[in-house]
Amino acid sequence: MPRSSTRWFAQRLAQMLLVLWVIATILFLIFRLMPGNPLVAYIDTTFTTEQKQALIHSFGLDLPLWQQYLIFLRESAAGNLGRSFSFHAPVAQLVWETLPNTLVLMLSAVVVAFLLGTVTGAFLAWKRGTVVESIGIPLVLAVRSAPEFWVGMILLAVFSFSLRWFPSFGTVSPGAQYASLWQRLTSPDFLHHLTLPLITLVLYLQGLPLLLMRSNMLDVMEEEFVVMARMKGLPERRILLAHAARNALLPVVTAFALVIGYSIGGNVVIENVFSWPGLGRLLVRAVAAKDYPLAQGAFLLIAAMSIVMNLLADVAYTWLDPRVSYAKR
Amino acid sequence: MRRQRVLRGLVFGIIAAMVLATAQPGPSQAQASRVVRELVLVTWPQAQNPQQYESARIAAEGMRQLGLKVTVRTMPWEQLADYVWEERQKWDMTTWQMVGRPERSDPDEILVNLFSSSTAKDGYNFVGFIDPKYDGLAQAQRSATDPAARKHLVDQAQQVLADAQPYTFLVNPKSLYAYDNQVWDPHTIVEQKGIGIKNFWTFVQAAPKGAQKDMVLNALDPILAINPLYISGKVDSWITELIWDRLVRIGPDGLPRPWAASAYTWVNPTTIDVTLRPGMRFHDGTPVTLDDVIFSFMAPKGDKVPMYKPFVANIADIKKVNATTLRFVLAKPQAAFLTSTLGKLNIVPQHAWGPMLQSLEGKKDNAQFLQEKTPVGSGPFRFVSWTRGQEVVLEANPQHWAAPKMHRWILRTVSNVEASLGGLRNGEINFLSDYLGDPMVLNRLSRQDPRITVVASTDIGFQFIAYNERRPPFNDVNLRRALTMAIDRTMIRLVAFKGYGEMSDSPVSKALEYWHASRLPQYSRDVQAARDLLKKAGYEWDSQGRLMYPASQSETLEVAR
Repeated sequence: MPRSSTRWFAQRLAQMLLVLWVIATILFLIFRLMPGNPLVAYIDTTFTTEQKQALIHSFGLDLPLWQQYLIFLRESAAGNLGRSFSFHAPVAQLVWETLPNTLVLMLSAVVVAFLLGTVTGAFLAWKRGTVVESIGIPLVLAVRSAPEFWVGMILLAVFSFSLRWFPSFGTVSPGAQYASLWQRLTSPDFLHHLTLPLITLVLYLQGLPLLLMRSNMLDVMEEEFVVMARMKGLPERRILLAHAARNALLPVVTAFALVIGYSIGGNVVIENVFSWPGLGRLLVRAVAAKDYPLAQGAFLLIAAMSIVMNLLADVAYTWLDPRVSYAKR
Repeated sequence: MRRQRVLRGLVFGIIAAMVLATAQPGPSQAQASRVVRELVLVTWPQAQNPQQYESARIAAEGMRQLGLKVTVRTMPWEQLADYVWEERQKWDMTTWQMVGRPERSDPDEILVNLFSSSTAKDGYNFVGFIDPKYDGLAQAQRSATDPAARKHLVDQAQQVLADAQPYTFLVNPKSLYAYDNQVWDPHTIVEQKGIGIKNFWTFVQAAPKGAQKDMVLNALDPILAINPLYISGKVDSWITELIWDRLVRIGPDGLPRPWAASAYTWVNPTTIDVTLRPGMRFHDGTPVTLDDVIFSFMAPKGDKVPMYKPFVANIADIKKVNATTLRFVLAKPQAAFLTSTLGKLNIVPQHAWGPMLQSLEGKKDNAQFLQEKTPVGSGPFRFVSWTRGQEVVLEANPQHWAAPKMHRWILRTVSNVEASLGGLRNGEINFLSDYLGDPMVLNRLSRQDPRITVVASTDIGFQFIAYNERRPPFNDVNLRRALTMAIDRTMIRLVAFKGYGEMSDSPVSKALEYWHASRLPQYSRDVQAARDLLKKAGYEWDSQGRLMYPASQSETLEVAR
């Protein structure tokens, strides 16, 4: 690697750490500034002051705020996300148990949506000015704008409650036991449960790559090299696929990396509609219950993931388009 | 330029008008300060708890007819509980609920903890109800071991509360559950008094009709922990009571009956002999011994099992009388001992929990933070698996003396209410054990589909409006009575609860026929009588119809923030 790129990379790393620290600080403060307190979950007719003090002590909430903050920074830096107040289990374990469900749903949806979106986008650009476009674009926009929970409920009502083709909740059938995570994730039962949430999410996600691809294609088609290709007498299909589409793909790749980055957080709405045991639902619960360690830890992890994906998008860009270079300024 | 000047002029004009408006002299100073301030009724957001929200709206409308200015303010539950619990000087009124649990089948827990002066500072008496006569009655019933005498004291305590109206009691809601009658034999589904059909007895006795031998149930909230020494949440308790045995269980009639104890006898008011059922075994095959039982009751006396500590505080000693019998010696007589201690504590294996508790010595952690990989009890169901956020699977323990007839008991977390209904229709679940949706919808479903049986039963729990007696005017019993008379409670029952509730007049539910006091004052709705009552107590109304304190009193408090 040339020296200038090494320096650029080091700079980017330093920036990332700074951003993470700022996010960690905001996370630490925001949950403590919100009204409510983590002890309300314990309120019961037999709840005593003694019990309350014991809880405050074991949660470390009896320490001054700055000490709590320093401990939080030190432990997070060491990779220790602490223990959840409400589940009483290590945050890392809770995240680890729910993350696979979220990742499988989100990643498969993003991939399908981008494949579908890119191809359809290119197709609609090609059909510019035709009836196909005047039906296609409003349809895409309508599907993209429909609220996810609504789409999800419609799919449930039709394909689950009425036709009974698909189950209405969870990731596997009641009581199904699998020897390993891999076996569970690849079982037909799991894929059967995945279908409806996946379709809902794909319908929601396809809009961005589709419209992006279409407008890029329209731009690229005006460029001189395409005109040149036409003058050379190349077939239209070849121009479209080998020349225009390849160049129009660039921003879509960036968008892909970014969407994956923020997909890690899961999709709260879809996870709730389909009772999908993912990170999104865990987070909602953590925030509602003022479960500081769980909320902080999980959000921090999500932030780290999107920062890394951002970096990857930048790197991918320099690689895909040699004209872009971050090193020389 | 010109437009800017006009704009600036306009802004100044508005500010000046606002200043003038606030400075405007109202009615004479002395009169203004007698006017009761704006009162704030805090409640849940409509989306979180539509019943309480609607109740608050209807109640506020009634209060306004007394000349009060009442604002309904919503807060998410977590914030509301924090506000009511931690800032006891600051709020005026709140809607609240007590949920039904088997151990609340004995009135002791509610009567003592909700209204004793000792719990007013930081316990469950958050309204600050102080009445020495009541304290005497509540304590006396606690130590009255003669049932008839105790019943009399419980009646008197309820009478004091009905007179004092620390709460306006709204309804004992009906709990609503449903099951698939093609999968489960309806004759084996047990309705427990004040609890409904989702209860221990149903789970042990339900008989499958056909090939489907697994009971699949739903819960809206995830399972937090499966720990016999930690009361972690509503849903978790359904599981712990199946995995672990208890000496005594609350029967379908609401009264304690022997369970892991084959018999018990009161030797005197502070001594009870308990005989352990022979041949019991933990799920790992080891026998349940008297030492395990002693351990289960003595461990919470230390500092490592804080949630169960209050229930064993009164145990002075446990001795072995012979090979099968234990003698519990109490520090003072405790009438509800069977329900609130023997029926509450789980029997845990000492060989598992002894070392685990030992490992906590010198650390700030306690037993609540321990989670066994495979929980081991001696109960009618054995633990199979727990997939977080998705399901818990238990299986029948065929070695148990009350072995369940079903094969597995599977509790699914279903966060979407509609999906749990759809699942019941689809057969994805066959027992609807957690439903907070519209009762009408569930009933319509059962009319359309005869396979689905819905059972509604009056709950031990109750819904109420609580008045903060630390803040005038709520320290005045006449005002509290007038409020109860002004609130249209029938409307609340019919509209907010869609008729699925019984009018409540006491913290002891009507479902507990034995304990509920008959002939309590009813405070039927009568706004004129309420106004007359206030007038007689010295209250007056100003020219705008606003309620004013009696002449000797003036408003000293700020509007609740």
